[in-house]
Amino acid sequence: MASEASTLSKVDALLTDVLADWNIYSTLILGGIVAFVILSFVLSKEPDIHPFLLARQATASPVRQPGESAAYRSLETPYGFPLRSGLGVKDPDAPKWTSGRRGDLRDIWKAAVRGSVKDDGSFGKQGKIYTVLGRQAVEHSLDQITQEMNVIGKHFESAQVKTVAICLTDSVELLASIFAGAFYGFRTIIIPHNLPEEALAAHLQKAQVEALIAEAGAVDLSTVAKANEQLSHVLWVAKIGSRHMDWNGVPEDVKDSLTVTVWHELVEEKKDLAGFEVPSWDPASPTPVLTTVWPSSSQSGEFIDYQPENLAAGISAVGASLPRNHRFNSDDLVLSIDSLSRSYPLCQVMAALFTNASVALNSVAGEDVDFALATAGVSPTVIVASSRTMSDYHEKFMRPHTGIISSIARWFQVRNLDSGVMPSQNVFSQLANIGPTAELSLDKLRLLCISHRFDAPSDVRLSSEQLTDFRIFTGARIAYALTGPGIAGAITQTSIFDYRRFDGPSHFGAPLSSAEVILTDFPEDAGLEKAVEGKITAAGPSVVDGRTTLPAQARFRSDNALELC
Amino acid sequence: MVSAEDPVPAPAEAMSIASPINLILLSLFVLLVYMHLRPSSPVTLPEAPPPVVFRTFTPTTLLPNNGQGDKPVYLAVRGRVFDVTPGKGFYGPGGPYENFAGRDATRGLACQSFDEEMLTKDLKGPLDDLKGLDEEQLENLQNWEERFLEKYLVVGKLVAEGDPEAPKASE
Repeated sequence: MASEASTLSKVDALLTDVLADWNIYSTLILGGIVAFVILSFVLSKEPDIHPFLLARQATASPVRQPGESAAYRSLETPYGFPLRSGLGVKDPDAPKWTSGRRGDLRDIWKAAVRGSVKDDGSFGKQGKIYTVLGRQAVEHSLDQITQEMNVIGKHFESAQVKTVAICLTDSVELLASIFAGAFYGFRTIIIPHNLPEEALAAHLQKAQVEALIAEAGAVDLSTVAKANEQLSHVLWVAKIGSRHMDWNGVPEDVKDSLTVTVWHELVEEKKDLAGFEVPSWDPASPTPVLTTVWPSSSQSGEFIDYQPENLAAGISAVGASLPRNHRFNSDDLVLSIDSLSRSYPLCQVMAALFTNASVALNSVAGEDVDFALATAGVSPTVIVASSRTMSDYHEKFMRPHTGIISSIARWFQVRNLDSGVMPSQNVFSQLANIGPTAELSLDKLRLLCISHRFDAPSDVRLSSEQLTDFRIFTGARIAYALTGPGIAGAITQTSIFDYRRFDGPSHFGAPLSSAEVILTDFPEDAGLEKAVEGKITAAGPSVVDGRTTLPAQARFRSDNALELC
Repeated sequence: MVSAEDPVPAPAEAMSIASPINLILLSLFVLLVYMHLRPSSPVTLPEAPPPVVFRTFTPTTLLPNNGQGDKPVYLAVRGRVFDVTPGKGFYGPGGPYENFAGRDATRGLACQSFDEEMLTKDLKGPLDDLKGLDEEQLENLQNWEERFLEKYLVVGKLVAEGDPEAPKASE
């Protein structure tokens, strides 16, 4: 007892001694501590998403086939549930409780022309379509495009053309041609516009194309027509600056077999007959196949025939992959700086049209464009770009222009991202971002949709740090998707709330809800403990022929996100 | 009352910032700031159990999966092997359906009978071809199958001994 009492009294004496030194500095420091604690409580925010949802991003099936991994699926459509197969179009006369039709491209255009639906069932405003030409954006009315679509559709219908190749830069004419194909029943093949003549001729030959829509003056007709006897119609699209020229001339040697027309003249001539109405259709009738070209290592490229059901599933899944409050809506302006001849930008633009968002198309759009130049002219809320474009921009502009102030501000904002919160833009961060984003004019940007081709070179794969830079300096969230031939939309896509940072190239998130991903060719006897590595195989409604395997090794990480090996 | 002799405190010495109390408070402050700003590693969840590998069984290789000891309980319905281990109380040893464990239960389920006679005697022979079942029994079987598909996992398929799909004896 005595020793205890003496210890206590010693402690007491010590405390008294220490506290006896209390002075104005102590009060100041204590005040600082209290202020810091209160501030960090007040300023702390809930993470944008529950961390457990990022720690396990996809569900794995409980049974797997030998030589394969388990089937991984989006959390939205787990094992045992049907995969997302369509747009869920509700016809006005359909009963309220039905889940809606699968839908196709015609429903998308109809929805775009109809305008957004308000809560009380009335129709709101239509989206707009802009084409960006350099620093200037031209606005097009949807009715005008419907009219052009009707003219072109009827033109090819009366000529009994069944296969049309579209070789255009991203433009309203390209969109109108795609929809004309859906409404008037001809197969459309979107061919990248910058191919050499021989490659173009080979494509037309391979697909037995009967009509070609191309930019006036961009294609040498005699070369192409000589190799393609079945080609009977050519439709030139003349740019505004060259419309005064006479494009109706046909080279002498192919004059007998070819009919040449010019888009704007045809529209002018027939517009009174065509009208502004969207043609009516029988929902049971299918739309024709839409074909795109996947650039393969050989010059020729590979044709991918997207059935209407693949597109419907892909478009719907791309739209639904965003959290409910962040989906495209009628206030958005979606700018695609990646070519519509690739399935991811095409599906994103279609998803935007279906949700009545405005769309901006850029004539220079492609896999490798200057991000700053391509986004000038409009102020988009969403940008669809390729990993190569973004990686080049980061390499050539953003990183060299990140100064000391930007780095310090970045360090603080990375704390926010690590705690799962998107840093808010304020005066301080805007000052800090002046350097790295000096070329950009993206005040309203909220989302960057970046797609990576599975066979693109590995140096354009974006790292976690690069994605973090884009988040901080542009203030936009990021969806980073992996694409492959034969899968409409994307194979997998990251959650836009996934701000976690890891070493090396970023992962690609979880499968979309329209397909499941299996890794095949897993060596069962190699002594590997877990079957989580192999060739990417996708199966589901958005996949051409139901199932396809890509020649690329990938791995599912412990959080069930896919990464390329 | 104030006496002129009262000692005047020496402010210069007492107001030192380097006193123990200040050092303690300062280090507390630094610790708090560090705790707040230190990088946190992302959350990880415990590993999920590895998926079961889909197998092709013959009646002989299915037989050991009867729930004895630590073995799972499998039973086959029309060529599909179900893992009914979650329902071990029914299908495992001592349960009312224990005869079905590790066996082809198709005929038994169709006839609503749990007797030994319902099972295929010859494990090396062909699978039950379901001859002699009437419509009602087939519908009964259908219902059982649907219930199984809802509740249990299909972990394999059952083929007859000597079927080209059957695994080699060495496996």
